[in-house]
Amino acid sequence: MNKFQYFLEYYNGEPLIIQLVWMVSCFLFLTVIILIIYLKFLRVRLRENEKITEKYTKDYELLLITYLYAETDENGVSLERQSVINELEKGIENTFKRKIIVATFLKLGNEITGEMAESIHHLYSQTKLKKYALSKLKNRNWYIIARGIRELTLFHVKDAHDQVVKHVNHSRREVRKEVQLYLVNLFHFEGLNFLDDLQTPLSEWDQIQLLEELQKMEDQQIPDISLWLKSTNKYVVIFALKLAEIYNQFGMKDVLIELISHKDKKVRLELIPVLSHLHVIEAKEIFKNNFNESSKDEQIEFFKLLENLIEPSDEPFIIEHIYNENFEVKYSALKLLKVLNTTKFENLELTPPESDFVKIVEFIKNY
Amino acid sequence: MNKKKIVLAEDNSTLSLLLKFRLEKEGYELLMAVDGKQAIELIEEHNPDLILTDIMMPYISGLEVISHVRNKLDLKVPIIVFSAAGQEEMVLKAFNLGANDFMGKPFSPNELVIRVKRLLN
Repeated sequence: MNKFQYFLEYYNGEPLIIQLVWMVSCFLFLTVIILIIYLKFLRVRLRENEKITEKYTKDYELLLITYLYAETDENGVSLERQSVINELEKGIENTFKRKIIVATFLKLGNEITGEMAESIHHLYSQTKLKKYALSKLKNRNWYIIARGIRELTLFHVKDAHDQVVKHVNHSRREVRKEVQLYLVNLFHFEGLNFLDDLQTPLSEWDQIQLLEELQKMEDQQIPDISLWLKSTNKYVVIFALKLAEIYNQFGMKDVLIELISHKDKKVRLELIPVLSHLHVIEAKEIFKNNFNESSKDEQIEFFKLLENLIEPSDEPFIIEHIYNENFEVKYSALKLLKVLNTTKFENLELTPPESDFVKIVEFIKNY
Repeated sequence: MNKKKIVLAEDNSTLSLLLKFRLEKEGYELLMAVDGKQAIELIEEHNPDLILTDIMMPYISGLEVISHVRNKLDLKVPIIVFSAAGQEEMVLKAFNLGANDFMGKPFSPNELVIRVKRLLN
């Protein structure tokens, strides 16, 4: 008591600044103590949660394995399986346990194929898990909708098609991506029908993901893409161009030629390599006639096309462009001239000797 | 008759449990390891007839397990490795170190049983 009295007297006798330092120190000390207690509490709680999760995971793993190895009749039904379903249903009512059940199913489902993987999908559909995933699609939050669709994809729930496809033009890209992956993963090329109704952008990354999924499919029979090539959504047209190139859609020649006059520059730029890949020679004359009205990028792309589809009849057009102001066009034209008519290339007038033109010719000669 | 012993090193507990049930049903004795370190301990202690190991595992990888078995313990025991998609280089390394077979994940447990039987009989 005396010590406390002594401290109070000392404190009251000190200048205001010292008193303030004491107050701040005490406040910080108390804050640190409270935070340490809070951290300790958090740690204990997390460890307890971890233990509970571990226990439930083990229980549900065992239930899942029991279900997979249960003896069944011709219709895949058995008392043992039904008792597992009943046991799971009890857990599914609880959000925490439901998350563990889904995680356990996925943990195994992602590692195996064949009958057992199908059994897991079947079990998912037989329990209320499917109902909960479907209810997520009606949620106001976009991330819950996306999560719901993802779950339906992972468990191959095909009969949710109508509910999922409603979100094809969702305002959030993440939801749209999940819808697209659901459709392509479960319905393969048929799933691409969402392109008919797509009014929103389809990013380059989304397109790559879709193409990657499509290439995993055993059946590589692609449907008619002409409607998508004529789509009013430029992203759909660009994606259809990729499909045309990858799946060698030679039959789309006429539709592709029509796209040469597409109003969007990006579409026109994406189109040229596809025309080159599919050897649409008829496109050359159209490009030559519109060459001066085309953008620089299109001119360069057209010369790349010529490098692939060169014919002797192209010589006058090429000669016309060996002095083009654009370096890439000029370089490409000179390279093509060397291929078509070496004599003419060798006899080009090389003056003045220090000009860029002469340097390019010399480079190509020695190439 | 003595059961043939198999060491299974896999960090996915659900997959381990599934394979344990399946292979025990076929009459094998399964020794389970959740990482490479445990796998090496079990191999040294039990001298198994077959080793099934995942490539990516905590502490000691499947590749290190194979290397230990072939180079340090000098055992000829058959080894099957599991690998995920995109681990082709790892699989080649596993074969160079002395693995006998591999299965890419996801795989069919029934196919694994066939391969195990082929290597053990």
